[in-house]
Amino acid sequence: MTIDILFIWTAFKEIIKALPITLILTILPLLAGFIIGLAVALIRIYKVKFLCRVANVYVSFFRGTPIIMHIMLIYFGFPLLIDQISKKFDLGIQSNSIPIILFVLTALSLSAGAYLSEIFRSGIISVSNGQMEAAYSVGMNSFQAMTRIVLPQAIAQSIPNFTNIFIGFLHTSSIAFIVSQKEMTGAANIVASTNLKFLESFIAAGLIYWGLTIIAEGLSFLIEKKATAYNRGGVQ
Amino acid sequence: MGKAFDPSLIVDFIPTLIYYLGVTLQILAASVLLGMVIGIAAAILRLFRIPVLNQFVILYISFIRGTPILIQLFLVFYGLPAILLFINIDISRMDALYFVIITYALSNGAHFAEIFRGAIKAVDYGQTEAAYSVGMNNSQSFFRIVLPQAIRIAFPNIANSIIGSLKDTSLAFTIGVMDMMGRGETLIAATAHALEVYLSLAVIYYAVVLLFEKIFRLYENRINRHQTVDVSVTG
Repeated sequence: MTIDILFIWTAFKEIIKALPITLILTILPLLAGFIIGLAVALIRIYKVKFLCRVANVYVSFFRGTPIIMHIMLIYFGFPLLIDQISKKFDLGIQSNSIPIILFVLTALSLSAGAYLSEIFRSGIISVSNGQMEAAYSVGMNSFQAMTRIVLPQAIAQSIPNFTNIFIGFLHTSSIAFIVSQKEMTGAANIVASTNLKFLESFIAAGLIYWGLTIIAEGLSFLIEKKATAYNRGGVQ
Repeated sequence: MGKAFDPSLIVDFIPTLIYYLGVTLQILAASVLLGMVIGIAAAILRLFRIPVLNQFVILYISFIRGTPILIQLFLVFYGLPAILLFINIDISRMDALYFVIITYALSNGAHFAEIFRGAIKAVDYGQTEAAYSVGMNNSQSFFRIVLPQAIRIAFPNIANSIIGSLKDTSLAFTIGVMDMMGRGETLIAATAHALEVYLSLAVIYYAVVLLFEKIFRLYENRINRHQTVDVSVTG
């Protein structure tokens, strides 16, 4: 077995066509997770009755089990649930008409929510209480103080963490190939098995993921510089 | 086939699956130990800026952090035999388990290297100076003063990394390793009760992760027992 360098380029061109699906599988769950995560973080910080318990279990379970489990549980569980409900209420929805990607997106969104909620929580806790007091002293109410003073600082400080999560989920989206999604790893697998050139295809896929990660890190650095420009430290 | 969903099967499957927990833990233990060795070596190369090797380690860490573990797994599984064939070693019939251990060791090594480097840098240089002032030499001050403190700083991150690695082992079945997931797949093929199998697996993984977290927290409290309160806010 020799390595066919030229085929890496052929595979590269074939695999990069699947980039949009990978990006969809990365960005949509993170957007949904952003909202879930923020809600869960606020519930846990303010210790809302009952909901706080649910939130704790949710975060602990989703962070304590592999993401492939979430995908598989939803991929096999939701169709059963949907069919039961649709039979009961005569809705006429059939689970096999729902595209698989929706199940994957749901699973990834729920995991993203759990991971992001921890980042929001640590970000919000890291903003000093004096900021809140200062906001009250100029007459803001709790909601205003939260949305105008605390959250912007918490989010700006959490940018490195958000980047880590983004890169983590970019890599996690590769798991979707196990439920036969044609994202980049799935595409690499197809290219590999049709041409029987496994190593070359996965080298090409690896290079694309690596490139995307480096771009994401660069962008995050620029955004962080802009977002934390207010914070110049004690002197100056 | 019986009912579409039978909750009692979840309990029935757990003993069968937990039998293969050993394989999962074996992968984890071997890859964490090898990863520690790689990580410490890589961190030292980075800290002392050994020429050429330093750049190589930067590239290695960037690659591991830049590609999904699944791609790394495939690259090692297909790539390592191809490379070793050049020097006339045929490992294409080697058990897939070893490829998994090698991949996770390389992956853990890169993460540990960054954690160790950060932790050693986080120890105040005054500590080394103080060690010199009481007459210790280079290696004494490093091993007796800096390293113990660095381990304390690194420990929470190492623990996180190990738990992440445990969850990652669930992907080993993609190259045909018979761990818990692999056994789960064969159970599904035999019984067609996929949901119940995955629920049992989720229960087992969750229990193991909770157990690990508990153990790590106890150990963390132990290594922090000499710290005053103001250092560890959460303690």
